[in-house]
Amino acid sequence: MRAIPATFREQTRAARAFAEQAWSGASTTDRLALILVPLALMAFVGFVVSAVVMLGPTIDFLGANQPLVRFGVAAVGILLLTVPTAFVLIYMELKVIARMNLRVGPNRLGPWGAATSMIHGFKVLSKEDFAPTGADVTVFTLAPAVTFLASVMTLLVIPFAPGIFGQDLNIGLLYFFAMGGLSVLGLLMAGWSSFNKYSLLGGLRSAAQIVSYEIPLTLSAVGVVLIAGSMSMTHIVMSQSGSALDWFVFKQPLAVLIFFIAATAEANRTPFDLTEADSEIVAGFATEYSGMRFGFFFFAEYVNVFIMSALLVTIFFGGWTAPFNWPWAYNLNWLDASGIGLLWIGIVAVVLFVATDILGAAIWLFGGRDWSAPAAFGLGFLVAGAGVTAAVGLACFIAFDWVQGIFWFMAKTYVFVFVFVWMRATLPRVRVDQLMGFAWKWLLPAALLNLFVTAAAILILNQPVTPR
Amino acid sequence: MSFIPGLGIARGMALTLRRFFEPKATIQYPETKPDVAVRFRGRLQLLYDEFGNLKCETCFQCAQACPVECIDMGGHDTKSRFYTHWGPAETFGERREESAVRRSGRPVPDNAFTHFEPIDLVAVEEILEARDYDPREMLPILEEVQAAYGYLPIAAIKHIGHVTGAPYALVYGTATYYSHLSFERRIRTIGVCRCTSCLLAGSGRIANAIGEALGTRLGGRPAGGIALEQVPVHSPGAASPLVTLDGKPQPDVTETSAAAWSRSLAKKSVA
Repeated sequence: MRAIPATFREQTRAARAFAEQAWSGASTTDRLALILVPLALMAFVGFVVSAVVMLGPTIDFLGANQPLVRFGVAAVGILLLTVPTAFVLIYMELKVIARMNLRVGPNRLGPWGAATSMIHGFKVLSKEDFAPTGADVTVFTLAPAVTFLASVMTLLVIPFAPGIFGQDLNIGLLYFFAMGGLSVLGLLMAGWSSFNKYSLLGGLRSAAQIVSYEIPLTLSAVGVVLIAGSMSMTHIVMSQSGSALDWFVFKQPLAVLIFFIAATAEANRTPFDLTEADSEIVAGFATEYSGMRFGFFFFAEYVNVFIMSALLVTIFFGGWTAPFNWPWAYNLNWLDASGIGLLWIGIVAVVLFVATDILGAAIWLFGGRDWSAPAAFGLGFLVAGAGVTAAVGLACFIAFDWVQGIFWFMAKTYVFVFVFVWMRATLPRVRVDQLMGFAWKWLLPAALLNLFVTAAAILILNQPVTPR
Repeated sequence: MSFIPGLGIARGMALTLRRFFEPKATIQYPETKPDVAVRFRGRLQLLYDEFGNLKCETCFQCAQACPVECIDMGGHDTKSRFYTHWGPAETFGERREESAVRRSGRPVPDNAFTHFEPIDLVAVEEILEARDYDPREMLPILEEVQAAYGYLPIAAIKHIGHVTGAPYALVYGTATYYSHLSFERRIRTIGVCRCTSCLLAGSGRIANAIGEALGTRLGGRPAGGIALEQVPVHSPGAASPLVTLDGKPQPDVTETSAAAWSRSLAKKSVA
């Protein structure tokens, strides 16, 4: 037995020697644990202490600055929303077009290949971020951000559900088109700053296309504004409430057609994807781009598809309203989940626990020899969890109108996203003169006609224009 | 029908939507293997090891297995000066030991590399003419050639390939596929004695009868896989003429039964 060191200095030295010996003798896992466990402990303690000390003042501060908080939360929310949206859209495009080509599509990464687009994103992220010699690097770097943000900021006014929106501007539709128009700026910046004649030509080409189609796009939505009497998105959605027959698509069929065609061109989708007709010409404004700067353009493009579908749904297909009159009241008294409390959480936890045990035991006992206890109870937990999640989701669907709203909104939006992808799998690309001629000779007159007929109809029918 | 705008688009969209739900043509390769033909020999590949050296050790198995001789092997000489074939064309498929034996100057006792022996092609020509040089009649042609020669000579197969236009591989493949067709000489010999006592007992008439039945004559070209030859030595004094089959005496062959016997023998030897 070693003698206990007497002085403080000796104690320190002994402790240090012990620590060094332990560290050099530890395996990698032990070392990792030695680092992570104290860190986690410190984080936990710090979290608890700061929560106790800071909770009151924080709530006070947030309450005092509600608009600011709302903006921050909305901005973070929509930025976070774009990431899974783009991943889902890319995966959907790969898979749907593959199926329409009689192929299987990606099926190696993740279940049914669902992780493909995520890995694709990481690949783009890890590539070299390159700027050509002679490029205006500042503008070159800003251009993808401008394009991306122009798309994302339009999401601020889209009402996903009652109460779930960034900001209910009374000029929401105008704001949407103004922000959408900004993306042209990003494309032009990209084309100009690349120091490459193909990029410049490509940028001008896409600017010409998008500006041309911006006009019928906006004009086709004006009819809706006339009928609804407001440019607020929430107001437009509310004025379509009821059943599917109240949707503006039946009052403005021509406008829907114009809007859909123009939105296809606006989002650079087939058959109007002349901006980067990858099979025919140089990649347009994105010629000199690589890595994540290139990735942001296409990130923006896929988000744009979602946004265009969302806007189409919002102003013509009733937004978050259900397509039929919901037969019972939203809030069932016996299922007052809106006040989620400890009781509800406890009930759900107990049900999950009991169901897991029952299912796991059943699988273990009657499932034959192949099932080990962990596997049986693991599967039981998965099944019970799925069931409980579905039940809780159903309860929320019935109890919260915003859950319903998000469900209907997303369902409708993804129907149109599917149509965009479907069109890409079907239609060939148009010629550039056909593209411009169609916009100016057909869509614009049709949009104007629609506007005049709508205005005349409102005057004749003396439908009161409700002021907001 | 008049032009309806958008009809083409609608039809195209309907087509792709139908395709969306149809069964897929993809074969998930490493998990499911495609069903290939029995004679499929695999894909030819030259592999390199981790040091960049060609893994082929010039075993010549591929060249030897290739039925249409489309694989031949060559290479650079040891100082990489010029491209060369290692020997004349008929030695392309030989193995290393065989090559060594051949270069040593000793005769190579391997039938695969000796030239096929020339044959009299008149019978083949007759058979082909009767069948109108039709490659679709390949099996009957080969059967008749085998009946005429007792086996399928390589020279006959080459000639059939040339004149009918069927590739050599096809003729060769057909010939190897059916078990009743053979490249080897499976010939039986009927011997008839022509010593004085046998002639007096009627061996000349027996020989004529057998010859007529088989379509040949004593000492002539074999027919139906059977050669008719004279037994070289016979001690005189026999009661009946001596007839042998592959050297074994057949005492119950008489003048009257000879024709039927030889016919049934010919039928057996062909089949």
